[in-house]
Amino acid sequence: MTGGEGARKLIALGAIWAALLLAPYWMPPLGGYTALGTRVLVLGLAAMSVNFLLGFTGVLSFGHAAYFGLGAYGAGLALKFLAPSTPLSLICGMLVGGIAGAILGALIVRRRGVYFAMVTIAFGQVFYYIAFQWSSVTGGDDGLRGFSRRPLDFGAFSVDILSNAESFYYFVLFCFALAAAAMGFVLRSPFGRTMIAIRENERRARFLGIPVERHIWIAFTLSCFFIGFAGALYALLNNFADPKGLHYSQSGDFVIMAVMGGMRSFWGPLLGAAVFVILQDYLSSITVNWMSFIGLLFVFVVLFFPRGLLGAIRRKVQA
Amino acid sequence: MMLLEVVAATKHFGRLAAVRDVSLAVPQGELRAVIGPNGAGKTTFFNLISGLFPPTAGRVVFDGRDVTGMPAHARVKLGMARTFQITEIFPELSVRENVRVGAEVAAGFRLRPWISRAEGAELQRRIEETLSLAGLANKADRLVGELAHGDQRAAEIAMALALRPRLLLLDEPTAGMGDQETYEITQLIRGLHRDGKLTIVLIEHDMRVVFHLADRITVLDQGKLLAEGTPQEIAVNDAVQAAYLGKAA
Amino acid sequence: MTQLLLFNVTNGLIIGAFYVLMALGLSLILNLSNVINFAHGGFLVVGGYIAYTITPYLGFWGALLVAPPLTAVLGLAIERALIRPLYGRDPLYSLLLTFGLAFIFEDMTRFIWGAQGLPVTIPAFLAQPLSSEFFFITGYRLFMVGMVIVSVTLLFVLLRYTRLGIRIRAGTLDLETVSALGVNVRMLRSLNFAVGIFLAGLSGVLAAGQLGLEPTMGAGLLMPSFIAIIVGGVGSLTGTLLGGLLIGVASGVTAVYFPSASEAVMYVLMAVVLLIRPRGLLGEEGMLT
Repeated sequence: MTGGEGARKLIALGAIWAALLLAPYWMPPLGGYTALGTRVLVLGLAAMSVNFLLGFTGVLSFGHAAYFGLGAYGAGLALKFLAPSTPLSLICGMLVGGIAGAILGALIVRRRGVYFAMVTIAFGQVFYYIAFQWSSVTGGDDGLRGFSRRPLDFGAFSVDILSNAESFYYFVLFCFALAAAAMGFVLRSPFGRTMIAIRENERRARFLGIPVERHIWIAFTLSCFFIGFAGALYALLNNFADPKGLHYSQSGDFVIMAVMGGMRSFWGPLLGAAVFVILQDYLSSITVNWMSFIGLLFVFVVLFFPRGLLGAIRRKVQA
Repeated sequence: MMLLEVVAATKHFGRLAAVRDVSLAVPQGELRAVIGPNGAGKTTFFNLISGLFPPTAGRVVFDGRDVTGMPAHARVKLGMARTFQITEIFPELSVRENVRVGAEVAAGFRLRPWISRAEGAELQRRIEETLSLAGLANKADRLVGELAHGDQRAAEIAMALALRPRLLLLDEPTAGMGDQETYEITQLIRGLHRDGKLTIVLIEHDMRVVFHLADRITVLDQGKLLAEGTPQEIAVNDAVQAAYLGKAA
Repeated sequence: MTQLLLFNVTNGLIIGAFYVLMALGLSLILNLSNVINFAHGGFLVVGGYIAYTITPYLGFWGALLVAPPLTAVLGLAIERALIRPLYGRDPLYSLLLTFGLAFIFEDMTRFIWGAQGLPVTIPAFLAQPLSSEFFFITGYRLFMVGMVIVSVTLLFVLLRYTRLGIRIRAGTLDLETVSALGVNVRMLRSLNFAVGIFLAGLSGVLAAGQLGLEPTMGAGLLMPSFIAIIVGGVGSLTGTLLGGLLIGVASGVTAVYFPSASEAVMYVLMAVVLLIRPRGLLGEEGMLT
């Protein structure tokens, strides 16, 4: 890495964090609202989790919404039936998503390419049907209601993240930072380099002594923990969990966020999520046919921005 | 002591027998060349040794251990490293990072969340050593995908060397190279063998390279073992002449 | 009880036959072009709505004859314009593109024909049950199964005996060699895509007669077709056929004893098959999947 590139990366990183930290101040004047920013963070974390696999291991999971949704139900059920604790609900959500991912991951890691995608979609739908059918626990089609996030209790003082949108935003930003740091840490580790090696050339990786299936399974499981965590935050954001969050079309949204932002970059999916969420919010407020426009967005990104926004910018800078 | 022994290996693809009943024994420290006309089954034979797929029949023994059903990555751990006829590298990583992956796996770090400062320094030393051995020290920061063909081949050998193998399998190391590049790679292999005392098995089409490097030569033809011997013996072997000339005619 | 079981097994076979028709189209496209066509359900719905629109003019039989080829033409146009540029790229991209197309199809059908379910009139003699004892076997159901059998037979004949079919099969195994032999691979992929979409359109017309029409029905039928392909083994059309029938019967039988699990059982079946035979029932041994 050259000195100039290093400095540029540092500046970019500073800019990203400054923008995130100050979002509640600059968003409203631009017509946004704080809860929208929170949504971007949560869905951005989910897209980054998908990209942990897609962009850095080169494995296309199209069923990650299942683990996202499981995280949401895990958190919701924990708040409803276990204990009224926000941190506990996050941990429960993360564990449910991650453990389910570990089990199913073991079944599917031998497949590659489109077949991997198909099997992940199909297995993801299992959880959709369970959430849909098992209404006594999950609330079925109506979704899981009757829980809400709890104020954070630090003994001496407590933070009201329930009614104060700004406090909740900063709480989510804190969680986001933890998860992003963990993700970055894994990617910089020797294990992270084996992931990239598998993405670049699976055969070479195998003949460098990397047990490829086992490493893909680990990466898959880790990404399910991350997205389960994001799902838990999503349940806290909405005080609600519904089967749509597990459906494969939600997985499609995550993948397009990652691709639109730039799947070869760490922060790309966050940018993609921001564009997607804001566009969806805007479109659904002006037209009933917003679905067609989202569909067109998919087509547009695939045909004209396959490397994503950050990929396109990076090319411009290099040229 | 034989480092590598292949006993009566056979590989069928459907009805096609790509390798039929081929045996081979390579002692520690030898440089063995495997030659033969196109379609002789040389690469299939290599794939059996390195574990890309198991043989239909027969055994592969490495350092006294039966590795016939062992997956490729486990064979690497025992000390077997290989390169491919069509260069297999990580194109979007720098040369140093390419070598680094191998070095980290060899050091047993592949699942480690972090490595200590001392371990990192030792790793770095080994990476640099491997890079300069392969003559890539001055290109270490370039992306492998952007290098010239010859340097990519050298980088692939460097990755294999980073594994600190006891047996190096090279599938046509000079394929697609000009004279200068061929010369450089030949010198590299010769150095690894002579000075590094590395056991090497290589498939090669360029007979100048084969006769310059090999201690012994194994000749395959149509999946079968045609002959084995020193370069002098092979040069005057009638069956080998016939196989090559027959193909050429 | 036996009658109920018989009813559901028959029902399962009929639904299975229907999955087969849809899954075969998907499978054709997947095998040759490595494209997971997420818009397949969308094409099905479009086929159904086209049939609905022309039934008043040409009648049911006319619609059955005209709607599938029209759907195929639409498919061909989309393949040429949007999917063809993606063949050399990571399959991720064609998957995302067809995913977006599925959104557009669903929204546009809703826009043009409305969100309300629409009934499709079928000829009166087909609507009758065969007998009071076998009340569940209407003429239309038999007709549907008959149509599936005829089209599947025709498809297999096409693949085995015509030049196009032989080329499609050869291309599925080794596209590079087929290309080297001078076959126009782009054309081959286009025609193959059109055949697949024709089957989707035909499924749409048949489904419309049985279930009526709704803009969202395509998405609901897509997943069973995926499972049919996975269970049968990717790369094998016979496998897809078997997979479709199997999951149809499995969900039919489950409906007798445990109705709420009739959908879930398909997934259980898939998990079991993948555990025992990772490549699916008839998955190709040599394929690097």
